[in-house]
Amino acid sequence: MANAREIQSRIKSVQDTMKITNAMYMISSSKMKKAKKVLEDTEPYFYNMQAAIARILRHIPDIQHPFFSVRHLVPQQERKTGIIVVTGDKGMAGAYNHNITKLTDEFMEKTPGYHKLYVLGMVGRQYYEKKSADVDGSFRYTVQKPTMHRARLISEEIVRAFLDRELDEVHIIYTQMQNAAVMEPVDMQLLPLKKASFSPAQIPVGAPQEEIEMFPSADVVLDTMIPNYLTGVIYGCLVEAYASENNARMTAMQSSTDSAKKMLQDLSIQFNRARQAAITQEITEVISGAKAQRRK
Amino acid sequence: MESTFGLEIYASNKLAYAGRARSLVVPVEDGEKAFLAHHANVIVAIVPGELRYEDADGNKVVAAVSNGFVEMINNRAKLFCLSVERPEEIDIRRAQEAKERAEEQLRQKQSIQEYHMNQLALARAMTRLRVTKNL
Repeated sequence: MANAREIQSRIKSVQDTMKITNAMYMISSSKMKKAKKVLEDTEPYFYNMQAAIARILRHIPDIQHPFFSVRHLVPQQERKTGIIVVTGDKGMAGAYNHNITKLTDEFMEKTPGYHKLYVLGMVGRQYYEKKSADVDGSFRYTVQKPTMHRARLISEEIVRAFLDRELDEVHIIYTQMQNAAVMEPVDMQLLPLKKASFSPAQIPVGAPQEEIEMFPSADVVLDTMIPNYLTGVIYGCLVEAYASENNARMTAMQSSTDSAKKMLQDLSIQFNRARQAAITQEITEVISGAKAQRRK
Repeated sequence: MESTFGLEIYASNKLAYAGRARSLVVPVEDGEKAFLAHHANVIVAIVPGELRYEDADGNKVVAAVSNGFVEMINNRAKLFCLSVERPEEIDIRRAQEAKERAEEQLRQKQSIQEYHMNQLALARAMTRLRVTKNL
Protein backbone atom coordinates (compact mmCIF):
# COMPACT_ATOMS: atom_id res chain seq x y z
CA MET A 1 0.00 0.00 0.00
CA ALA A 2 1.22 3.47 -0.87
CA ASN A 3 2.21 5.60 2.05
CA ALA A 4 0.13 8.46 3.38
CA ARG A 5 2.19 11.22 1.87
CA GLU A 6 1.96 9.80 -1.66
CA ILE A 7 -1.80 9.50 -1.38
CA GLN A 8 -2.03 13.01 -0.07
CA SER A 9 -0.19 14.44 -3.06
CA ARG A 10 -2.50 12.52 -5.38
CA ILE A 11 -5.50 13.95 -3.62
CA LYS A 12 -4.07 17.41 -4.06
CA SER A 13 -3.51 16.95 -7.79
CA VAL A 14 -7.01 15.54 -8.31
CA GLN A 15 -8.44 18.49 -6.43
CA ASP A 16 -6.56 20.94 -8.62
CA THR A 17 -7.77 19.25 -11.80
CA MET A 18 -11.29 19.26 -10.46
CA LYS A 19 -11.10 22.99 -9.94
CA ILE A 20 -10.22 23.45 -13.59
CA THR A 21 -12.91 21.12 -14.94
CA ASN A 22 -15.48 22.74 -12.71
CA ALA A 23 -14.54 26.22 -13.92
CA MET A 24 -14.64 25.08 -17.55
CA TYR A 25 -18.05 23.59 -16.95
CA MET A 26 -19.39 26.88 -15.70
CA ILE A 27 -17.80 28.93 -18.48
CA SER A 28 -19.12 26.68 -21.24
CA SER A 29 -22.59 26.57 -19.74
CA SER A 30 -22.83 30.36 -19.79
CA LYS A 31 -21.41 30.49 -23.32
CA MET A 32 -23.95 27.93 -24.44
CA LYS A 33 -26.80 29.94 -23.02
CA LYS A 34 -25.62 32.99 -24.96
CA ALA A 35 -25.23 31.00 -28.17
CA LYS A 36 -28.74 29.58 -27.81
CA LYS A 37 -30.14 33.06 -27.39
CA VAL A 38 -28.39 34.21 -30.58
CA LEU A 39 -29.71 31.17 -32.40
CA GLU A 40 -33.26 32.00 -31.36
CA ASP A 41 -32.84 35.59 -32.56
CA THR A 42 -31.81 34.57 -36.03
CA GLU A 43 -34.38 31.82 -36.53
CA PRO A 44 -37.32 33.96 -37.75
CA TYR A 45 -35.18 35.56 -40.45
CA PHE A 46 -33.92 32.21 -41.52
CA TYR A 47 -37.23 30.35 -41.79
CA ASN A 48 -39.12 33.19 -43.42
CA MET A 49 -36.34 33.66 -45.93
CA GLN A 50 -36.51 29.99 -46.81
CA ALA A 51 -40.26 30.27 -47.27
CA ALA A 52 -39.83 33.32 -49.49
CA ILE A 53 -37.33 31.59 -51.75
CA ALA A 54 -39.60 28.55 -51.92
CA ARG A 55 -42.44 30.79 -53.02
CA ILE A 56 -40.39 32.42 -55.75
CA LEU A 57 -39.28 29.05 -57.05
CA ARG A 58 -42.84 27.80 -57.02
CA HIS A 59 -43.96 30.67 -59.18
CA ILE A 60 -41.12 30.41 -61.63
CA PRO A 61 -40.35 26.71 -61.66
CA ASP A 62 -38.25 26.63 -64.83
CA ILE A 63 -35.74 29.16 -63.65
CA GLN A 64 -32.23 28.95 -65.00
CA HIS A 65 -29.69 30.36 -62.64
CA PRO A 66 -26.01 29.58 -62.05
CA PHE A 67 -26.65 28.78 -58.38
CA PHE A 68 -29.02 26.00 -59.36
CA SER A 69 -26.94 24.42 -62.11
CA VAL A 70 -25.82 20.94 -61.11
CA ARG A 71 -23.11 20.90 -63.82
CA HIS A 72 -23.94 17.48 -65.19
CA LEU A 73 -21.28 17.90 -67.81
CA VAL A 74 -18.49 17.61 -65.26
CA PRO A 75 -17.74 13.88 -64.87
CA GLN A 76 -17.92 12.36 -61.39
CA GLN A 77 -14.17 11.76 -61.22
CA GLU A 78 -13.32 15.38 -61.91
CA ARG A 79 -15.84 17.06 -59.69
CA LYS A 80 -14.29 19.49 -57.28
CA THR A 81 -16.02 19.47 -53.93
CA GLY A 82 -15.43 22.14 -51.34
CA ILE A 83 -16.16 21.18 -47.75
CA ILE A 84 -16.51 23.64 -44.91
CA VAL A 85 -15.61 21.74 -41.77
CA VAL A 86 -16.63 23.33 -38.49
CA THR A 87 -14.55 22.06 -35.56
CA GLY A 88 -13.64 23.59 -32.23
CA ASP A 89 -10.63 25.72 -31.38
CA LYS A 90 -9.65 23.38 -28.59
CA GLY A 91 -10.33 19.90 -27.36
CA MET A 92 -11.75 18.95 -23.96
CA ALA A 93 -15.18 18.56 -25.46
CA GLY A 94 -15.69 14.83 -25.48
CA ALA A 95 -16.18 13.38 -28.95
CA TYR A 96 -17.23 16.69 -30.51
CA ASN A 97 -14.20 17.19 -32.75
CA HIS A 98 -13.73 13.51 -33.40
CA ASN A 99 -17.28 13.07 -34.69
CA ILE A 100 -16.82 15.90 -37.18
CA THR A 101 -13.51 14.67 -38.54
CA LYS A 102 -14.87 11.14 -38.76
CA LEU A 103 -17.86 12.25 -40.80
CA THR A 104 -15.62 14.35 -43.03
CA ASP A 105 -13.26 11.44 -43.67
CA GLU A 106 -16.19 9.18 -44.49
CA PHE A 107 -17.61 11.79 -46.83
CA MET A 108 -14.31 12.16 -48.65
CA GLU A 109 -13.97 8.41 -49.06
CA LYS A 110 -17.51 8.04 -50.31
CA THR A 111 -17.50 10.76 -52.96
CA PRO A 112 -15.16 10.52 -55.92
CA GLY A 113 -13.29 13.49 -57.31
CA TYR A 114 -11.18 16.16 -55.82
CA HIS A 115 -11.77 17.64 -52.36
CA LYS A 116 -10.82 20.98 -50.99
CA LEU A 117 -11.25 21.65 -47.29
CA TYR A 118 -12.16 24.92 -45.70
CA VAL A 119 -11.51 24.17 -42.07
CA LEU A 120 -12.82 26.33 -39.25
CA GLY A 121 -11.28 25.85 -35.83
CA MET A 122 -7.75 24.99 -34.73
CA VAL A 123 -8.35 21.33 -33.93
CA GLY A 124 -9.59 20.45 -37.39
CA ARG A 125 -6.94 22.53 -39.12
CA GLN A 126 -4.14 20.77 -37.28
CA TYR A 127 -5.69 17.38 -37.95
CA TYR A 128 -5.99 17.92 -41.70
CA GLU A 129 -2.65 19.66 -42.09
CA LYS A 130 -1.05 16.63 -40.50
CA LYS A 131 -2.92 14.36 -42.90
CA SER A 132 -1.73 16.63 -45.73
CA ALA A 133 -5.19 17.10 -47.17
CA ASP A 134 -5.79 20.12 -49.39
CA VAL A 135 -6.65 22.78 -46.83
CA ASP A 136 -7.26 26.33 -47.91
CA GLY A 137 -4.48 28.23 -46.13
CA SER A 138 -6.08 31.65 -46.28
CA PHE A 139 -9.21 30.42 -44.59
CA ARG A 140 -8.35 31.34 -41.04
CA TYR A 141 -11.37 32.08 -38.96
CA THR A 142 -12.03 31.31 -35.37
CA VAL A 143 -15.23 29.61 -34.31
CA GLN A 144 -15.60 31.55 -31.08
CA LYS A 145 -18.55 33.92 -30.94
CA PRO A 146 -19.79 33.66 -34.52
CA THR A 147 -20.65 36.98 -36.12
CA MET A 148 -22.58 37.93 -39.21
CA HIS A 149 -19.47 39.58 -40.58
CA ARG A 150 -17.51 36.35 -40.47
CA ALA A 151 -20.35 34.44 -42.08
CA ARG A 152 -20.44 37.03 -44.84
CA LEU A 153 -16.72 36.68 -45.52
CA ILE A 154 -17.04 32.91 -45.67
CA SER A 155 -20.03 32.92 -47.99
CA GLU A 156 -18.42 35.49 -50.29
CA GLU A 157 -15.38 33.29 -50.66
CA ILE A 158 -17.50 30.20 -51.30
CA VAL A 159 -19.77 31.91 -53.82
CA ARG A 160 -16.79 33.33 -55.67
CA ALA A 161 -15.08 29.94 -55.87
CA PHE A 162 -18.31 28.33 -57.06
CA LEU A 163 -18.99 30.91 -59.76
CA ASP A 164 -15.36 30.85 -60.95
CA ARG A 165 -15.71 27.07 -61.31
CA GLU A 166 -13.00 26.38 -58.79
CA LEU A 167 -15.61 24.27 -57.05
CA ASP A 168 -18.55 22.34 -58.47
CA GLU A 169 -20.19 21.54 -55.16
CA VAL A 170 -20.00 22.99 -51.69
CA HIS A 171 -20.90 21.15 -48.50
CA ILE A 172 -20.79 22.16 -44.89
CA ILE A 173 -20.18 19.66 -42.11
CA TYR A 174 -21.12 20.89 -38.68
CA THR A 175 -22.70 19.67 -35.48
CA GLN A 176 -26.41 20.00 -35.08
CA MET A 177 -28.02 20.13 -31.70
CA GLN A 178 -31.14 18.01 -31.57
CA ASN A 179 -31.67 18.63 -27.88
CA ALA A 180 -29.59 19.16 -24.78
CA ALA A 181 -28.34 15.58 -24.79
CA VAL A 182 -28.18 14.63 -28.48
CA MET A 183 -25.77 16.27 -30.87
CA GLU A 184 -25.16 14.93 -34.32
CA PRO A 185 -22.67 15.84 -37.01
CA VAL A 186 -24.51 16.60 -40.24
CA ASP A 187 -23.50 17.21 -43.81
CA MET A 188 -25.49 19.79 -45.72
CA GLN A 189 -25.15 20.75 -49.35
CA LEU A 190 -24.87 24.51 -49.80
CA LEU A 191 -24.24 24.78 -53.53
CA PRO A 192 -25.66 24.13 -56.06
CA LEU A 193 -28.99 24.74 -54.40
CA LYS A 194 -31.45 21.91 -54.69
CA LYS A 195 -34.81 23.12 -55.82
CA ALA A 196 -36.49 20.18 -54.15
CA SER A 197 -35.28 21.16 -50.70
CA PHE A 198 -37.14 24.45 -50.90
CA SER A 199 -40.45 23.48 -52.40
CA PRO A 200 -42.98 21.68 -50.23
CA ALA A 201 -43.76 18.08 -51.15
CA GLN A 202 -46.91 18.99 -52.97
CA ILE A 203 -48.75 22.18 -53.67
CA PRO A 204 -52.36 21.94 -52.57
CA VAL A 205 -54.77 21.89 -55.48
CA GLY A 206 -56.27 25.28 -56.13
CA ALA A 207 -53.57 27.22 -54.30
CA PRO A 208 -53.50 30.70 -55.74
CA GLN A 209 -50.79 31.02 -58.33
CA GLU A 210 -50.47 34.74 -58.55
CA GLU A 211 -48.28 36.57 -60.98
CA ILE A 212 -45.23 38.03 -59.33
CA GLU A 213 -43.16 40.64 -60.99
CA MET A 214 -39.45 40.75 -60.27
CA PHE A 215 -37.68 44.04 -60.11
CA PRO A 216 -35.19 44.86 -61.67
CA SER A 217 -35.19 41.25 -62.99
CA ALA A 218 -35.46 37.71 -61.74
CA ASP A 219 -31.72 37.23 -62.15
CA VAL A 220 -30.84 40.31 -60.11
CA VAL A 221 -33.27 39.37 -57.37
CA LEU A 222 -31.85 35.85 -57.13
CA ASP A 223 -28.32 37.23 -57.34
CA THR A 224 -28.83 39.19 -54.14
CA MET A 225 -31.16 36.75 -52.46
CA ILE A 226 -29.08 33.64 -52.72
CA PRO A 227 -25.77 34.95 -51.35
CA ASN A 228 -27.82 36.49 -48.54
CA TYR A 229 -29.51 33.19 -47.94
CA LEU A 230 -26.18 31.36 -47.91
CA THR A 231 -24.74 33.87 -45.47
CA GLY A 232 -27.75 33.23 -43.28
CA VAL A 233 -27.32 29.47 -43.52
CA ILE A 234 -23.62 29.63 -42.72
CA TYR A 235 -24.27 31.94 -39.82
CA GLY A 236 -26.92 29.56 -38.52
CA CYS A 237 -24.54 26.61 -38.83
CA LEU A 238 -21.75 28.47 -37.04
CA VAL A 239 -24.02 29.45 -34.21
CA GLU A 240 -25.38 25.95 -33.88
CA ALA A 241 -21.90 24.42 -33.95
CA TYR A 242 -20.76 26.89 -31.31
CA ALA A 243 -23.69 26.01 -29.09
CA SER A 244 -23.05 22.28 -29.62
CA GLU A 245 -19.36 22.65 -28.87
CA ASN A 246 -20.07 24.34 -25.60
CA ASN A 247 -22.76 21.85 -24.78
CA ALA A 248 -20.36 18.99 -25.48
CA ARG A 249 -17.70 20.61 -23.36
CA MET A 250 -20.21 21.17 -20.60
CA THR A 251 -21.21 17.50 -20.53
CA ALA A 252 -17.61 16.32 -20.74
CA MET A 253 -16.52 18.62 -17.95
CA GLN A 254 -19.44 17.64 -15.78
CA SER A 255 -18.66 13.94 -16.10
CA SER A 256 -14.99 14.54 -15.38
CA THR A 257 -15.89 16.60 -12.33
CA ASP A 258 -18.09 13.73 -11.19
CA SER A 259 -15.38 11.15 -11.67
CA ALA A 260 -12.89 13.42 -9.90
CA LYS A 261 -15.27 13.50 -6.94
CA LYS A 262 -15.47 9.74 -6.94
CA MET A 263 -11.70 9.43 -7.13
CA LEU A 264 -11.34 11.82 -4.22
CA GLN A 265 -13.69 9.72 -2.15
CA ASP A 266 -11.75 6.52 -2.89
CA LEU A 267 -8.46 8.25 -2.25
CA SER A 268 -9.58 9.69 1.07
CA ILE A 269 -10.64 6.21 2.23
CA GLN A 270 -7.27 4.88 1.19
CA PHE A 271 -5.55 7.76 2.92
CA ASN A 272 -7.42 7.15 6.17
CA ARG A 273 -6.58 3.47 6.06
CA ALA A 274 -2.93 4.21 5.46
CA ARG A 275 -2.91 6.70 8.31
CA GLN A 276 -4.66 4.25 10.60
CA ALA A 277 -2.20 1.54 9.66
CA ALA A 278 0.72 3.86 10.38
CA ILE A 279 -0.70 4.73 13.81
CA THR A 280 -1.36 1.09 14.67
CA GLN A 281 2.13 0.19 13.66
CA GLU A 282 3.61 2.97 15.77
CA ILE A 283 1.59 1.90 18.81
CA THR A 284 2.68 -1.70 18.38
CA GLU A 285 6.27 -0.57 18.18
CA VAL A 286 5.96 1.58 21.30
CA ILE A 287 4.26 -1.16 23.28
CA SER A 288 6.65 -3.86 22.23
CA GLY A 289 9.54 -1.54 22.99
CA ALA A 290 8.15 -0.82 26.48
CA LYS A 291 7.63 -4.54 27.13
CA ALA A 292 11.14 -5.31 26.12
CA GLN A 293 12.40 -2.63 28.52
CA ARG A 294 10.34 -4.03 31.46
CA ARG A 295 11.68 -7.55 31.10
CA LYS A 296 15.23 -6.47 31.69
CA MET B 1 -57.41 50.78 -41.80
CA GLU B 2 -58.38 50.75 -45.47
CA SER B 3 -55.10 52.04 -46.74
CA THR B 4 -52.60 49.99 -44.77
CA PHE B 5 -50.72 46.83 -45.54
CA GLY B 6 -48.95 44.21 -43.45
CA LEU B 7 -45.24 44.84 -43.04
CA GLU B 8 -42.65 42.55 -41.54
CA ILE B 9 -39.02 43.58 -41.47
CA TYR B 10 -36.55 40.80 -40.72
CA ALA B 11 -32.92 41.47 -39.95
CA SER B 12 -30.59 38.54 -39.52
CA ASN B 13 -30.42 39.04 -35.77
CA LYS B 14 -33.90 40.28 -34.94
CA LEU B 15 -37.42 41.03 -36.06
CA ALA B 16 -37.18 44.77 -36.64
CA TYR B 17 -40.86 45.50 -37.24
CA ALA B 18 -44.10 43.58 -37.55
CA GLY B 19 -47.41 45.33 -37.96
CA ARG B 20 -49.45 47.50 -40.29
CA ALA B 21 -47.88 50.25 -42.36
CA ARG B 22 -49.09 53.01 -44.64
CA SER B 23 -46.08 53.34 -46.86
CA LEU B 24 -42.66 51.81 -47.40
CA VAL B 25 -39.75 53.27 -49.38
CA VAL B 26 -36.77 51.04 -50.16
CA PRO B 27 -33.46 51.85 -51.88
CA VAL B 28 -33.00 50.01 -55.20
CA GLU B 29 -30.39 49.99 -57.91
CA ASP B 30 -31.70 53.02 -59.79
CA GLY B 31 -33.01 55.11 -56.93
CA GLU B 32 -35.90 54.35 -54.62
CA LYS B 33 -39.10 52.43 -54.84
CA ALA B 34 -42.19 53.22 -52.79
CA PHE B 35 -44.95 50.81 -51.78
CA LEU B 36 -48.44 51.78 -50.79
CA ALA B 37 -51.28 49.49 -49.81
CA HIS B 38 -52.53 47.08 -52.50
CA HIS B 39 -49.37 47.30 -54.51
CA ALA B 40 -49.07 44.74 -57.30
CA ASN B 41 -47.30 41.50 -56.37
CA VAL B 42 -43.62 42.12 -56.79
CA ILE B 43 -40.23 41.08 -55.47
CA VAL B 44 -37.59 43.77 -55.38
CA ALA B 45 -33.86 43.54 -54.72
CA ILE B 46 -32.62 46.09 -52.20
CA VAL B 47 -29.21 47.76 -52.28
CA PRO B 48 -27.54 49.26 -49.20
CA GLY B 49 -29.25 52.52 -48.41
CA GLU B 50 -31.89 54.32 -46.44
CA LEU B 51 -35.22 52.63 -45.70
CA ARG B 52 -38.29 54.62 -44.69
CA TYR B 53 -41.70 53.49 -43.60
CA GLU B 54 -44.76 55.01 -42.04
CA ASP B 55 -46.65 52.85 -39.58
CA ALA B 56 -50.42 52.75 -39.15
CA ASP B 57 -50.40 55.65 -36.67
CA GLY B 58 -48.46 57.85 -39.04
CA ASN B 59 -45.08 57.62 -37.26
CA LYS B 60 -42.28 57.92 -39.78
CA VAL B 61 -39.31 55.64 -39.22
CA VAL B 62 -35.91 55.69 -40.90
CA ALA B 63 -33.34 52.89 -40.89
CA ALA B 64 -30.12 51.93 -42.64
CA VAL B 65 -30.31 48.63 -44.51
CA SER B 66 -27.78 46.41 -46.24
CA ASN B 67 -28.33 44.09 -49.20
CA GLY B 68 -31.55 42.19 -49.24
CA PHE B 69 -34.94 41.98 -50.86
CA VAL B 70 -38.58 42.72 -50.21
CA GLU B 71 -41.55 40.71 -51.36
CA MET B 72 -44.99 42.29 -51.65
CA ILE B 73 -47.62 39.61 -52.06
CA ASN B 74 -51.35 39.90 -51.39
CA ASN B 75 -50.96 43.23 -49.61
CA ARG B 76 -48.37 41.79 -47.26
CA ALA B 77 -44.78 42.96 -47.44
CA LYS B 78 -41.88 40.97 -46.06
CA LEU B 79 -38.49 42.56 -46.06
CA PHE B 80 -35.27 40.60 -45.52
CA CYS B 81 -31.95 42.33 -44.98
CA LEU B 82 -28.78 41.17 -43.27
CA SER B 83 -28.82 44.28 -41.13
CA VAL B 84 -31.49 46.83 -40.33
CA GLU B 85 -30.30 49.58 -38.03
CA ARG B 86 -32.16 52.49 -36.52
CA PRO B 87 -30.22 55.78 -36.37
CA GLU B 88 -29.84 55.57 -32.61
CA GLU B 89 -28.25 52.11 -32.86
CA ILE B 90 -25.49 53.26 -35.18
CA ASP B 91 -22.04 54.01 -33.88
CA ILE B 92 -21.15 57.14 -35.85
CA ARG B 93 -17.46 56.97 -35.19
CA ARG B 94 -17.27 53.37 -36.28
CA ALA B 95 -19.14 54.15 -39.46
CA GLN B 96 -16.82 57.08 -40.13
CA GLU B 97 -13.81 54.85 -39.64
CA ALA B 98 -15.31 52.18 -41.90
CA LYS B 99 -15.90 54.79 -44.58
CA GLU B 100 -12.32 56.03 -44.41
CA ARG B 101 -11.00 52.50 -44.47
CA ALA B 102 -13.07 51.63 -47.52
CA GLU B 103 -11.98 54.79 -49.34
CA GLU B 104 -8.37 54.04 -48.52
CA GLN B 105 -8.74 50.51 -49.86
CA LEU B 106 -10.43 51.71 -53.03
CA ARG B 107 -7.38 53.83 -53.85
CA GLN B 108 -5.13 50.79 -53.84
CA LYS B 109 -4.67 48.46 -56.74
CA GLN B 110 -6.85 45.44 -56.17
CA SER B 111 -8.78 42.66 -57.81
CA ILE B 112 -12.32 43.15 -59.11
CA GLN B 113 -13.54 41.01 -56.22
CA GLU B 114 -11.92 43.21 -53.59
CA TYR B 115 -13.09 46.29 -55.44
CA HIS B 116 -16.72 45.19 -55.22
CA MET B 117 -16.40 44.24 -51.58
CA ASN B 118 -14.94 47.62 -50.69
CA GLN B 119 -17.51 49.42 -52.75
CA LEU B 120 -20.27 47.67 -50.81
CA ALA B 121 -18.54 48.44 -47.52
CA LEU B 122 -18.33 52.09 -48.53
CA ALA B 123 -22.01 52.13 -49.47
CA ARG B 124 -22.97 50.66 -46.10
CA ALA B 125 -20.83 53.15 -44.19
CA MET B 126 -22.16 56.13 -46.13
CA THR B 127 -25.75 55.07 -45.57
CA ARG B 128 -25.16 54.76 -41.85
CA LEU B 129 -23.71 58.24 -41.76
CA ARG B 130 -26.53 59.70 -43.84
CA VAL B 131 -29.22 58.17 -41.68
CA THR B 132 -27.65 59.54 -38.52
CA LYS B 133 -27.21 63.06 -39.88
CA ASN B 134 -30.59 64.20 -38.57
CA LEU B 135 -30.09 62.90 -35.05
